[in-house]
Amino acid sequence: MQNDKHAIISAAGLGSRLGLNIPKCLIEINGKTLIEYQLELLKKVEDIRIIVGFMEHKVIDLVRKIRDDVVFVRNPDYKTTSNAFSVHLGTHDLKYPFIIIDGDLLIEKASFDTFLEKCNGEESVIGITQAKTEDAVFVTINEPSGKITKFHRTPRGNYEWTGIAYLKNIPIKADGKYVFTEIVPFLPLAYHNIVCYEIDTPEDLDLAINNFDSIINSKA
Amino acid sequence: MKTAFCFDLDGTLTRQEILPLIARDIDLYQEFEALTLATINGIIPFVNSFKLRCRILAEVPISRVKAIVSQVKLYDKVVQFVSNNKECCFIATGNLDIWIEELAQKIGCPIYSSVAKYTEDKLDGIEKILDKADAVDDIRAKGFNRVVAIGDGMGDVGMFQQADISIAYGATHCPNQTLLELSNFVTFNEDALCRTINTLL
Repeated sequence: MQNDKHAIISAAGLGSRLGLNIPKCLIEINGKTLIEYQLELLKKVEDIRIIVGFMEHKVIDLVRKIRDDVVFVRNPDYKTTSNAFSVHLGTHDLKYPFIIIDGDLLIEKASFDTFLEKCNGEESVIGITQAKTEDAVFVTINEPSGKITKFHRTPRGNYEWTGIAYLKNIPIKADGKYVFTEIVPFLPLAYHNIVCYEIDTPEDLDLAINNFDSIINSKA
Repeated sequence: MKTAFCFDLDGTLTRQEILPLIARDIDLYQEFEALTLATINGIIPFVNSFKLRCRILAEVPISRVKAIVSQVKLYDKVVQFVSNNKECCFIATGNLDIWIEELAQKIGCPIYSSVAKYTEDKLDGIEKILDKADAVDDIRAKGFNRVVAIGDGMGDVGMFQQADISIAYGATHCPNQTLLELSNFVTFNEDALCRTINTLL
């Protein structure tokens, strides 16, 4: 693994659809917060940046107890800006490829570890997962080439975009609407299937809790 | 893009605040801590507090202060960054020129500081307190089109407002709320700060 690898966790948003009065990365499942599970997965990554906005102090205080060398990137305009803007803030100065991760994901270790192995400086890798969320952005895969060729809302597909990616020479612009729309001009791109659960709604949270054992206790 | 880095001194390049160390020498450490706390909490404005602190410390001979300052512990990795990038690094400190000139020489980059009035080994008062916002303006006038400010205290607020990018550094003590709200990056550890400034080079 390269020493200059960066991982950027996007955790600035309000998470309004969930109706909990905390940032989504602080949702607790089985006694631990999503951000704690994510930091465990990223133990070997030297440079971790977390983009904070909504209730930034709570996120900073908790993360510092786990890992003191995290760089916090502030997005004070989190109420009026997109997630793509947050990711832009955390990544636009980086000279090397970087991993981006949405802070509202519960991620399985085994498939994430194999994704990390692919983050080797050679090419960008898009994290996809079996379709399950309500608001999914689906991906079209070209089987012979093994690449993603398209992101789409309709028609429904078998796999969806996760919010996890390893990006090489793909900038996320400040005025980008979504992260995936910033990636579109660079398609086709390699992909990796990661078992993960995005938590946007109470139903998503139930699904993640019900599948907790299979996600977190999977063998690496 | 020509980027400059403007570092606070106390608690940012040094692991300890310098003034309380001097106060310890005349047995006024706790009194000083109380004054520092009152300053952090906004009970007494920074400039007034600094004047008062200098007046108290004026009884310590300048040579003795220099000896104390020469012993202060530094954040070696951050100082190394400064040494490696002398042409674009600056220190902006409210501290008095006469007290810290040798430390500044050791670190090896240009310094903006407050100016002391003194007679031989005795401090008479303060000629001028540095406004760190002016330091940022001056750095910009040297032809840098992006200034990164790094600091931790109330004395750094003007510098943060004037800079293009601000990094709150909480390794010595937690940066105060005002400063935090003016910052783009927050780091609590020497390695994290060094990684961040390296990406901005």
